[in-house]
Amino acid sequence: MNRLSVTIDGHVFTVEIPPLNRATNEVSMIVDGQEVHVLMPEVGGPEPLDWIIVNGRPYELVIDRDLHWMRARSGLHQVEVRDLDATVARPASGDGRVKAPIPGLITRVLVAAGDHVEAGQPLLVLEAMKMENEVRAPRTGTITHLSAAAGQSVTLGALLAEIE
Amino acid sequence: MFQKILIANRGEIAVRVIRTCRDMGIRTVALYDDSDLGSLHVRLADECVRLASGALYRDVATIVQIARDCGADAVHPGYGFLSEHAEFAHACEDAGITFIGPDSATLAAVRNKIGTLENVSAAGFAVPRHSARPYGESETAALMDAAETLGYPLVIKSYSGGRSHGTRLVREPEHLAPLAQHAHSAALTAFGDDRLYIEEAFLPGRYVEVQVLGDRHGALVHLGERDGSIQHNHRKIIEESPAPGLSDAQRDELCGQAVAIARLLGCHSVCTIEFVIDDQGRFVFTEVKARIQVEHPVTEMRTGIDLVREQIRLAAGEPLGRTQDDIILKGCAIQARINAEDPWNHYLPSPGRLRRFRFPGGPNVRVDTYAYGGCDIPVRYDPLLAKIVAWDVDRVACLGRLRRAIADFAISGVQTNLPLIQRILDDPDFAAGTYDSEFTRRQLLNTLASSGNLRDLAVAAALAYARRSADGNGALPERASSGWHRESRRLPQ
Repeated sequence: MNRLSVTIDGHVFTVEIPPLNRATNEVSMIVDGQEVHVLMPEVGGPEPLDWIIVNGRPYELVIDRDLHWMRARSGLHQVEVRDLDATVARPASGDGRVKAPIPGLITRVLVAAGDHVEAGQPLLVLEAMKMENEVRAPRTGTITHLSAAAGQSVTLGALLAEIE
Repeated sequence: MFQKILIANRGEIAVRVIRTCRDMGIRTVALYDDSDLGSLHVRLADECVRLASGALYRDVATIVQIARDCGADAVHPGYGFLSEHAEFAHACEDAGITFIGPDSATLAAVRNKIGTLENVSAAGFAVPRHSARPYGESETAALMDAAETLGYPLVIKSYSGGRSHGTRLVREPEHLAPLAQHAHSAALTAFGDDRLYIEEAFLPGRYVEVQVLGDRHGALVHLGERDGSIQHNHRKIIEESPAPGLSDAQRDELCGQAVAIARLLGCHSVCTIEFVIDDQGRFVFTEVKARIQVEHPVTEMRTGIDLVREQIRLAAGEPLGRTQDDIILKGCAIQARINAEDPWNHYLPSPGRLRRFRFPGGPNVRVDTYAYGGCDIPVRYDPLLAKIVAWDVDRVACLGRLRRAIADFAISGVQTNLPLIQRILDDPDFAAGTYDSEFTRRQLLNTLASSGNLRDLAVAAALAYARRSADGNGALPERASSGWHRESRRLPQ
């Protein structure tokens, strides 16, 4: 059994979950000491979880890949999952590389290489879906590398600048 | 009647127009660019032509040439793009092709938004105080002077475009210069014209508009009003009819004014007369939209009239064939716009491939969309993915039906504003109909979703985690590996 601490909208639950067997549609687990019976497609399958039936209650779900939220009929819920059996060291966010958050067209570049920037300062404007979106500095520092130019089309995740 | 209509648009409105054309036995020609090849409008049309030139759906010369080459006898422009483009209407007229909308002279007149305000004011109707002329990007000092004279709060508007692009609300003088710069740039992107004008803002206010329908022989009726006060970044999210909070006397007065203004401006075809209602209940005329609008299904649900069919009929020169007494406005209709965007992440657009896309059903629920499960939501165009409209005999029942329909709408693969719409519909002030244009300033995003069985959701989250870990690719959450997504935000629109 793998022990997880799951927080939904601020409510904490401890879930004990067995190793998942792909070939079945049923699994039982323990939530806060009580056994729960779950039906779902391909228990151990690789697809994102679409629907499940928990103790006879069906749910259709859209679950964030990063497990920060899920959408159910009742609306959007905040999610946090902690693995109590493993200490997951989360990487420090914002390594100074600025990447394109969406594919689009760079309409304006607001800084130059060598500029000192403050965290949160607008670096450039990226147009996508007929909207202008500002890309900001993830940290305070100096722009050591700037590969973005106005008029340039960029793909998702393209490196635009680096801050050190 | 026309034999073949070219639809000079894309997205849900192209699908909407094609469906009515097919109902009427008219052949259709769709346009597409490379990112739209998989869109529904291309599949539903009788013929389709690829746009390959730079201006795509805005390319007047190319589109007129395509219309000639394919033998279309009329062009339907939808909304946005060339829908209020007088030169395009004129080019169609010159080519002997009917532009489905007002004639080019009327379009040119109403597109002059400042001239229109002055005409309407001279006829004795209230209009907002406004700048005497539009200002280009190089005229910042003159714009600042005009703003000083006008006072705050004020609204910056694009001189040649619709509401959502280039419109900025300026509450304080120090915000004018940066917002004007964004607005110039957004207007240039959206309409190819960076000129802006300013007018007084009414806060809090309500944005109420009246649908009118007129033929080329002078007959003109109204089809009731719509309230579009629930907006984010000047883009409407919810529209409804009737407008809650208007008395019958106010409603009659509003619709009467709209018909008089439409007559004054020579409107025919399908037009919308837009007003702001200030906190004293005073109506102030702001703009005319001489085209079909995104929210037209709200009116269709209440009147039973297919507005696109009317538009086509009237463009063919047929008489209106209805008097005001023939128009019966029934019950209540509410529409929500579903956008591919992430309200919880600064409203960043969310293009990509739709995995699941299942409509809600049941009586009196309508979904207009160009999407389907497995299709791509292109990055190049606006994020409107679908419109959902519910109708019922009164507002309480209609709201219940729309809430249910929104909860049943299953979309995965891209982020949408569905959860935000749920929170708006659940808000007590929305339910009471007492909202105004300041509604979306409240902290809708931070409220919790309506109850739900949280324990069962915890089970689902645990399973999702375990499946991902078992799959081996989930050890590092995507967003934890880089800081960029959190550091981006959409510019104030």
